[in-house]
Amino acid sequence: MALRVLAHVRRMVAGKKAGVVLLAGAAISVVGLSLFGTTMIYTSTEAFCATNCHEMANNTTREYQDTVHDKNRTGVRAICPDCHVPHAPVPLYIAKFGALNDLWSHHITHSVDTREKFEAARPMMAQRVWTYMKGNDSRECRHCHDATKMDPEKQSPIAQAQHARAKREKMTCIDCHFGIAHHEPQGGPGPQELEVDKSLIPRSAIF
Amino acid sequence: MAKFFKKIRGWGSRPGTIAVLVIGLVVGAVFFGTAASFMVYANSEKFCATSCHEMTYLAAEHKDTIHDKNRSGVRATCNDCHVPHGYIPNYLAKLGLFYDYWGHFVTHSIDTKEKFEAKRYELAKRVWGYMKANDSRECRHCHTTSKMDPELQSEKAKARHEKLRTEGLTCIDCHFGIAHTEPDGPGPQELTAAANAAKK
Repeated sequence: MALRVLAHVRRMVAGKKAGVVLLAGAAISVVGLSLFGTTMIYTSTEAFCATNCHEMANNTTREYQDTVHDKNRTGVRAICPDCHVPHAPVPLYIAKFGALNDLWSHHITHSVDTREKFEAARPMMAQRVWTYMKGNDSRECRHCHDATKMDPEKQSPIAQAQHARAKREKMTCIDCHFGIAHHEPQGGPGPQELEVDKSLIPRSAIF
Repeated sequence: MAKFFKKIRGWGSRPGTIAVLVIGLVVGAVFFGTAASFMVYANSEKFCATSCHEMTYLAAEHKDTIHDKNRSGVRATCNDCHVPHGYIPNYLAKLGLFYDYWGHFVTHSIDTKEKFEAKRYELAKRVWGYMKANDSRECRHCHTTSKMDPELQSEKAKARHEKLRTEGLTCIDCHFGIAHTEPDGPGPQELTAAANAAKK
């Protein structure tokens, strides 16, 4: 069996140009993957994410400006993808595919192309994000905020008490820290009232 | 041009050429994936802070400093300060790993705490020089000056940051010895002053 495979491979590479073809294949892979990787990085920048389409630029980006995740004592920031795009490779790819939905609504359905439509859709969109974050225990928050490396002694007594409660009652970051980077929607349930239906959580949240 | 196409078609004319191409694609993908994964893995704390005992001294010093443990739990690990974030500088820095292997396996330059302490000042000076030369690029990868809110900083910090702008200083000129033990000897600003004096 192994011999037959070997003979087959030898026949394939018998041509003088086989080496060139092999190298060409390898080069295509490297270039293709580099482009793919660069796309992943570029689509996670502020230049692309925050300002490329007016839906983001006019609403969510403006609201985010000067919040604690944009401007603070140390200048250490969290930009769009830090909170809204998974950081592990496979969930990241899935999330990027999901962004095709944004292209669909931008070009075809125009679902949030005016401020009024955006405001009307805000509670629904906020609930979607909250559900996502509850479903994966605020994974994107925790990518930067390492709970084991928080120093409770530097936190206010209220924060200490609330964090202790969160641990006790198995709550997650978004249960309390919502409406901190974008306007809080008026009406509808907050994250703590939301029932998390696991079947509605995108697969990229669970991986 | 026509000749060129004919040539390419010539390559593809043999049976099995497509198979060779596919093998090439796989080889390229595996190579690229491995290289990229190594870049990520070599930046992890698991590799960087604990893989060789020389670094465990530094990791122990970093523990509980502000870049390890703080109010919000947002951290900076080894690579955030010590490995460039742009592609090419990152690759060059990773090649520098071989120098660490050399020191670890061949010269054993800092394999005991005593040797490390004896060399600490020289090592610190090397890092300070690097950071000064690129205007504390790695610091600024996380700390965006334009997004610092001076009103949330102390009066002292505000005044000193103003001084930084007027006197052309950089982060490391003041913020040194904050993640690792400060060595004895002149700090970054005194070193610059001495270098300038020597030039004159």
